[in-house]
Amino acid sequence: MPEKSVREMSARERRGHSLAARVWRSLIMSSVILAVAAILVGLASHGYALLNQHLAVAYNYAAVTAELLENEIDVVALSENVTEIYRSLPDEEHAAQDTLRYREHFFGASNESTSDYYRALSILRRLMNDADIEYIYLGMFDPETDSLVYMVDPDQSDSSEMGKWEPVDPEEVHAFLDWSGEGYPSYIGWTRQYGWLGTCGAPVANEDGETVAFLFADVSIRSIATQLLAYAAQFSIVMLVLIIVAANLITRHFQDTLVAPINQIAEAAESYTEDRERGSDAVDHFAKLDIHTGDEVENLALIMSDMEHGLAEYEANLERVNAERGRIGAELNLASTLQSRMIPNVFPPFPDRTEFDIYAAMKPAREVGGDFYDFFFIDDDHLALVIADVSGKGVPSALFMMMTKILINDHAMLGGTPAQILTDVNRAVCANNPVDMFVTVWLGILEVSTGRLTAANAGHEHPIVQDGHGRFETLRDRHGFVLGGDVDTVYHDYELTLEPGGSIFVHTDGITEAKDGSGELFGSKRLLASLNGHQDGASDEIIGGVLADVEQFVGDSPQFDDITMLCLHYRGPERSKSEGEHMAVMTIDATVENIEAVTEFVNEHLEKLCCPPKAQMQIDIAIDELFSNISLYAYAPDTGPATVCVDVEENPLSVILTFIDNGKPFDPLSTDDPDVTLPAEKREIGGLGVFLVKKTMDSIDYEYKDGQNILRIKKAI
Amino acid sequence: MEITTAKNDTALNVGIIGRLDTTTAPQLERELNDKLEDITELVLDCSELEYISSAGLRVFLGLHKLMMEKGSLLVLHPNDTVMEIFQVTGFDGILNIEK
Repeated sequence: MPEKSVREMSARERRGHSLAARVWRSLIMSSVILAVAAILVGLASHGYALLNQHLAVAYNYAAVTAELLENEIDVVALSENVTEIYRSLPDEEHAAQDTLRYREHFFGASNESTSDYYRALSILRRLMNDADIEYIYLGMFDPETDSLVYMVDPDQSDSSEMGKWEPVDPEEVHAFLDWSGEGYPSYIGWTRQYGWLGTCGAPVANEDGETVAFLFADVSIRSIATQLLAYAAQFSIVMLVLIIVAANLITRHFQDTLVAPINQIAEAAESYTEDRERGSDAVDHFAKLDIHTGDEVENLALIMSDMEHGLAEYEANLERVNAERGRIGAELNLASTLQSRMIPNVFPPFPDRTEFDIYAAMKPAREVGGDFYDFFFIDDDHLALVIADVSGKGVPSALFMMMTKILINDHAMLGGTPAQILTDVNRAVCANNPVDMFVTVWLGILEVSTGRLTAANAGHEHPIVQDGHGRFETLRDRHGFVLGGDVDTVYHDYELTLEPGGSIFVHTDGITEAKDGSGELFGSKRLLASLNGHQDGASDEIIGGVLADVEQFVGDSPQFDDITMLCLHYRGPERSKSEGEHMAVMTIDATVENIEAVTEFVNEHLEKLCCPPKAQMQIDIAIDELFSNISLYAYAPDTGPATVCVDVEENPLSVILTFIDNGKPFDPLSTDDPDVTLPAEKREIGGLGVFLVKKTMDSIDYEYKDGQNILRIKKAI
Repeated sequence: MEITTAKNDTALNVGIIGRLDTTTAPQLERELNDKLEDITELVLDCSELEYISSAGLRVFLGLHKLMMEKGSLLVLHPNDTVMEIFQVTGFDGILNIEK
């Protein structure tokens, strides 16, 4: 990531990011490199050509001068004389060339060519001044001593008169004496006296064709170099101007055809981002770009436009999908709530029953599960217990579960043994099962007064039974086929008797097949051990203990299957009441609408006791007051169950009504009685109901016990 | 519970038949609310009222407060049970009752 985005940069920082400036700089740099290289190559080749040209001119000049000299004097004789004299002298004499004695060897009477020397000297002087030649002189090489012997030299700056010599580079000697005859002999060398010089020479031959001397012409390299440098300087200035002009033109073109469109795209992208932040949903930021460069930039603009449309479509789609997902989520939530309300989940469900306690737990793997448990009284003495596991998970199995639950409930209420009920339900399920789902069910009916349990098993896990000594053992009951599998399946009942203090525990395979991190199953052995670890508890403690053990075993691993279990702990038949009368009991949802049902239920018993109408009225009022209080306040804002028990006491004959609810603890007797002497304006609504009950009943008492509000009223009849 | 009403100019005679309790009291309140606008004389005939609970008393108290401002309220012929409740709750000192 860059330190900051382009949008956060200042205008100056953005210019630093200019493509055009970069192109301009690169163009200038590469052009200058090319130009310098071109100039160097040009200079080299031009300098070489110029040098050759100068040498050629000098050679021609030398040749013409040699011819001229030969017309005027006997050059051959002069040369041969000098050479002869030079060669005749020993080395010591050569070394003393600056002495008068040495000079006399050449200018003495022995040399017949002295007069020719002076004439040649004057001619050469004249010619040298006229021409563009640095030096012009006559001389001959002595290959034996690698020296140049001067014959005629018009240069007066040194004492290079006839017979004088100077050592030369053997290569130079070689270049001239071994000349092939093509072109002209030349040599470029450096001397301390003259600097760089180009020398060429026209040979002078005697009658035998032997070269006896050369007429040398020197060309000054320095002057050539000066010319070249002047040329190079002019060339460089022109090149530089051309380069700058060309770079500017190219950069401008580049600016128009590449940078400007890219900037347009960047601005469009910027306004796209800004609009998105503002919440605008315009989708033509890139479409309205006017770029027709016919190259990749135009393609880029088109692609960006396509992308913008694609993104908009994608987002719209995503929104739809999200809305749909939200709706499905809400529906699943509702389904989950509905499902959890379908099964009894208020515990204890029968607070007035002392013969047993019952507890169940269900932990669906998904929002809605396919497991369920159920229990309900078929009549006052028969409690049905159901546990079932529908094949599959999720919504379909939840729907299947609902159907099965209702069918079992309906058929059980019609009477019959568990086997008969399951046989009937199986037929109904098979008739309504187009999707080949099935459900395993264990159904038991407990005779509460005796502990005798009749049960049938439709392919479900074996129940685990606790004997009166606390020991849990798996009951290997007989399995029938699953419900929904085969319409003709017939189920079989079996019986067992729960001893007081014993329990029956049923579950689904979600427990035994719960896996820990390493994939090991919880298994039935661990389940048995867990149950036996909690064998002294009531049903809720047993279930809580097993659940905790399973959770500890599973750890952080995900739950794959619904975990469902049901436990009934049998305490034993109800101890008979002191007066030998059994209570009449009704458990019903505490709602105002149910007041009438409760009143009717109580009145039924009051009529049996031939209760006087006035007492009945007062009792009815008391029911209205007390039950409406429970309905309105005990579970507010929810609702819950309430139990009403009717008891009879003798001496005097009295009716005892007990109202039990599991709602918020509240003692109605704790409030002060209303002041009944106050005038109407000061009377407050409320408190009157309980006050009325207190006044019309013989006694009223309240206790809060085991999470229950228990209010008891007594009225003699 | 049933309710009969007979209107004579600004007088309204209301007969309450049956039980006035938590379930039925709101019904009485609702029915009378609409009809009391121009009434100055309200008569509640309780001769066929079987019993009344605190919810009913609440409605009676509300009606009493309302009619004190604009006229009068008369409670006619309550039975023994109802009368006893009026006495226990002190309503006999508030309401204008004719036996």
